[in-house]
Amino acid sequence: MMDELELLKKDWQKQEQGLPKLSYDQIYKMIWKKSSSLVKWIFYISIVEFLFWITISFIPLGNKGVDLPEANFILIINRVLTITQFVIIIYFMFQFYQNYKKISVTDSARDLMKKIIATRKTVMRYVWFNLGLFAVTMIIVFTEVLVLNPPPELAERIANSDSSLLVWLALGVGLLAAIMFFGLLIWLFFCLLYGLLLKRLTLNYKELKRLEV
Amino acid sequence: MKKELEHKFVTELESNQNIVHKVCSLYTNDRDSHNDLFQEITIQLWKAYPKFRGDAKFSTWMYRVALNTAITLYRKSKRRVQTQDYESVIFKIKADEYDDTQEQQLKLMYNAVKQLGDIDKALVFLYLEDKDYSEIASTLGITEVNARVKMNRIKNKLRTILNP
Repeated sequence: MMDELELLKKDWQKQEQGLPKLSYDQIYKMIWKKSSSLVKWIFYISIVEFLFWITISFIPLGNKGVDLPEANFILIINRVLTITQFVIIIYFMFQFYQNYKKISVTDSARDLMKKIIATRKTVMRYVWFNLGLFAVTMIIVFTEVLVLNPPPELAERIANSDSSLLVWLALGVGLLAAIMFFGLLIWLFFCLLYGLLLKRLTLNYKELKRLEV
Repeated sequence: MKKELEHKFVTELESNQNIVHKVCSLYTNDRDSHNDLFQEITIQLWKAYPKFRGDAKFSTWMYRVALNTAITLYRKSKRRVQTQDYESVIFKIKADEYDDTQEQQLKLMYNAVKQLGDIDKALVFLYLEDKDYSEIASTLGITEVNARVKMNRIKNKLRTILNP
């Protein structure tokens, strides 16, 4: 066996005559082509993710026509949330950019993979943050609509109900289910997307890392 | 200035293109993918070239970029060894140079190498290119000891592939 690999090695240098040979012009043309590397893909997808969540945050959530004193409190919470969100978006984008810039094709294979994974993790943390925020916003909107400014029919039903606690419980469960459903949907989508893109990289990285143990 | 850099780069790559072709033929299974990967490696080399300081040899520097592109950056991964219809460009041994058994042996060996995983292939490739273990280790980002251990495991793996 050992001898066969040695044999292959000896022969290795002789194979060069069988290789394709590109001309100066052919190579010159290539340097102007666009790269379609994994890093580029991750970069574009991450930008789309940032834009997606920024757009979501601009969708107005009904706090019209509420002029109860409690509504002010909700408004303040909403405002604080929006500001926090933007501060955090800027923080994440900065981190993402920093990580992205560090990716260098001249690193060792292991470092390169590590940096790509780090960049990816920044965006993943960003997605988790948004899912959390999404849940909080849902709860606020829910409270706002149902508690502070409920539609008349619903208010009536709650008032007439024998056990209004049960109605509230049902609504609560419904809200939770909705949050979980959307969360799961988004999570699945990203897992699928990155699973496809990063499966090979993760496997190779694990293999290199396993060597160090 | 830019023109000069382009010229220098293309000239160096032209005379060292064999390294890239060898990587391509190891990591792809058809001519289109081979050309595709070659192009991506060229782009990556060119993008990194302004930072190439010349304290290493151009070819040494190329190994890293070429392997990184093949292992990590190259996206189209339809590169399982299911189809043997494509005679690898790299392995056209002239029949008169070897006796039949030897030629057969080499072909089997090369096919076995192509069935290895991405990292294993990189190790074997650098080994065949006569790189020492310290260079193999630093290219992959592992220790020299681990590179040796890994190489021994690969030899065992190849033995299993060849004698199932």
